[in-house]
Amino acid sequence: MSLRTFILGLSASFGVAWLAIIVVPFFKMRDLAPIQLSEAMDGTTGVFFPKRSGRVADGAKVYAENGCYLCHTQVVRPTYAGNDMYRPDWAGLATDADRGDTRRETNAYDFFGEKFAQIGVMRLGPDLSNLGRRVETIHAPGGDPAGWLYRHLYQPRGNPQLWKSTCPPLPFLFVKREIKSSPSADAVRVDAAGEHEWVPGSDAKALVSYLLSLKKDQKAPASLNFAPKKASGAP
Amino acid sequence: MSPVISTTTDQDALLRAGIDRSLRHPVMFFLTSGAAWLAVSIFLGVISSAKVHSPGFLSSCEWLTYGRVFPAHINALVYGWGMQAAFAVIIWLMARLSRKECTSVGTILVAGHVWNIGVGLGIVGILSGYGTGMPWMEFPGFAWPVLLVSYFAILIWSFIQFRVRPEGHVYISQWYILAAMIWFPWIFITANTLLYCMPGHPVMGAGINAWYKSALIFLFFTPVALGTAYYLAPKVTGRPVFSYSLAKLGFWSLAIIAPWAGMQKLVGAPIPFFLPYVGAAATALLFIPACAAGVNIIRTMLSCRETLEVSPALRFTMAGIAALIVLALAAVLLNLPGSTLPLTQFSLSGYGFDILALYGFFSLVMFGATYFIVPRVTRREWLSRRLIKMHFLFSVYGTIFVALVALFGGLQQGVGQEAWKEPWATAADSAFPYAVTITFAWSLILFSNIFFFIHLTLMWLRLGRRSSHPTLLVSAHGPNPYGEEGDIDNAGPGHATAH
Repeated sequence: MSLRTFILGLSASFGVAWLAIIVVPFFKMRDLAPIQLSEAMDGTTGVFFPKRSGRVADGAKVYAENGCYLCHTQVVRPTYAGNDMYRPDWAGLATDADRGDTRRETNAYDFFGEKFAQIGVMRLGPDLSNLGRRVETIHAPGGDPAGWLYRHLYQPRGNPQLWKSTCPPLPFLFVKREIKSSPSADAVRVDAAGEHEWVPGSDAKALVSYLLSLKKDQKAPASLNFAPKKASGAP
Repeated sequence: MSPVISTTTDQDALLRAGIDRSLRHPVMFFLTSGAAWLAVSIFLGVISSAKVHSPGFLSSCEWLTYGRVFPAHINALVYGWGMQAAFAVIIWLMARLSRKECTSVGTILVAGHVWNIGVGLGIVGILSGYGTGMPWMEFPGFAWPVLLVSYFAILIWSFIQFRVRPEGHVYISQWYILAAMIWFPWIFITANTLLYCMPGHPVMGAGINAWYKSALIFLFFTPVALGTAYYLAPKVTGRPVFSYSLAKLGFWSLAIIAPWAGMQKLVGAPIPFFLPYVGAAATALLFIPACAAGVNIIRTMLSCRETLEVSPALRFTMAGIAALIVLALAAVLLNLPGSTLPLTQFSLSGYGFDILALYGFFSLVMFGATYFIVPRVTRREWLSRRLIKMHFLFSVYGTIFVALVALFGGLQQGVGQEAWKEPWATAADSAFPYAVTITFAWSLILFSNIFFFIHLTLMWLRLGRRSSHPTLLVSAHGPNPYGEEGDIDNAGPGHATAH
């Protein structure tokens, strides 16, 4: 076999797969069309566009740089691929005061504003798809969700409920400063003498803003829903 | 023996010696700096793995937080050790098999230094908080063009050597190595341009990243290791390859199946449905090329058991190929959609599988090649059979523990994760014993590779034994199969045939 034939053989065997699973899907997904909602199926019209607020791009950078993706995932798999939907607080809220059961799978529109979807590689910690929702309604109900997350990032085992947590503490995201009059509301720690406090630095603020933006349980269009709920009274 | 044959054999021996001499510094440079990166990587691996079960360990230091040490560990392993070991073996094997001396030592050494600087700055970048957050591609954005350019500057010469080789049979090792040399830049450029230069959909980006990891293992590290094993097994035993048609089947099935693998890691994520399923099917099918090559190489080695018992090169290669068979079994068992894939998708088995491939299979074969090549390029024999035995034993035990984690730990942890009625903490707890096992395995491997690095450095300093006897794994006081020991430099040109 000549070198030419050999290289042609290699190019063919590799090239077909390369086109079929990398190049074509890449350009197809790049131009993902917005989903039109229909009156008949969704009960409303317009375009599906999950809203997201907060410092998403900044915070995603801090999330990436400090390797959060090594232990946390951001995907709620449909039930054919795993049991994520059943957990009461992962895919949304099983019983939301206003919206009822908000649980749903992750869809391709959920990563708006991020360059790289941190699907993740391992679950040593819980899935974070709906962390913002979870902190606001379960961990710090009616309180201070950002403060809960700051304390968690500073020392995860500081929370008595998480005394066995294997999440690494990130004290370097916090800044030590002198207390001028009274401790700041965001302080995660005040020294014994009451002279210094540790407050979130700019990276911690971006990260927490990003984490609180993780609320991937808005109502998805019927065309993306794996198990659309039947309207009551329908056959 | 007729005088004509004797002359040809002598010419052959002189040609081989010339090739070895021309490659002494590039080969030793890549092997030694690779071994140093390996030690760094394993050291970071021990630290990061300890943090998984004891998060307070070294946690006050920003540079040593888990999320930075772990990527530094895996990138040092892949680009620092893996790629450089492959460079050393590729340039040597290609020169030997194409019967050409290396004429571009200077360029290769300069490019090798650039590669090391690129990897070094990349690791510092990750540790100081500039990582990109894409697994196996965490080096900050400046690194990949540097690595790519030095890759071409290092390996283009081997490609040229193949082009200008004397006409004749192309050996199976050359197929594997040539293919790896072509696949790597294709994969590397695809993944890096699509993720750094062309904005795409974020989830497809994650898919490309998963494909990149798999392709790097199965289309670069695997062919390099198989090409090496196909060289070492017949060369050291002196017997022909067991079956050449099996070798061809193994090669082309790898070429056809491996490019489709990888995206099974995204099953359930919002990408086109066929991608994860194609990935799972291809990964399971990799059993075919792995077993075809593995069985072929093992049968070749078994044809001469006496050599297998005493040769360090064959012993390491045998262990590496055994790890390949385990890896192929794991590829089937861990990737069955609907049964084991949901369990292993986000568990320790992903990491265990990568390490089994990179260390258990690829690195052990590279160690085998090192024990074969280094005495030839330095013209000195390995100093101590004990150091080699220690290296072997601790590496193999380390690999066994890693394999256990990949196969059982991952499944066990996955069962915990899928038990949705239990609180999440139960699932997190089920990973604990396996995380401790990984730390233990890395400690064994670290111990083994400190010996390896010291031994290799002494060899590069030409402090090896000046002897006509290779260092074999036989009892110190038994009769040596090579007869009385003599000084290598006293042997004279008529005796160069020993190699």
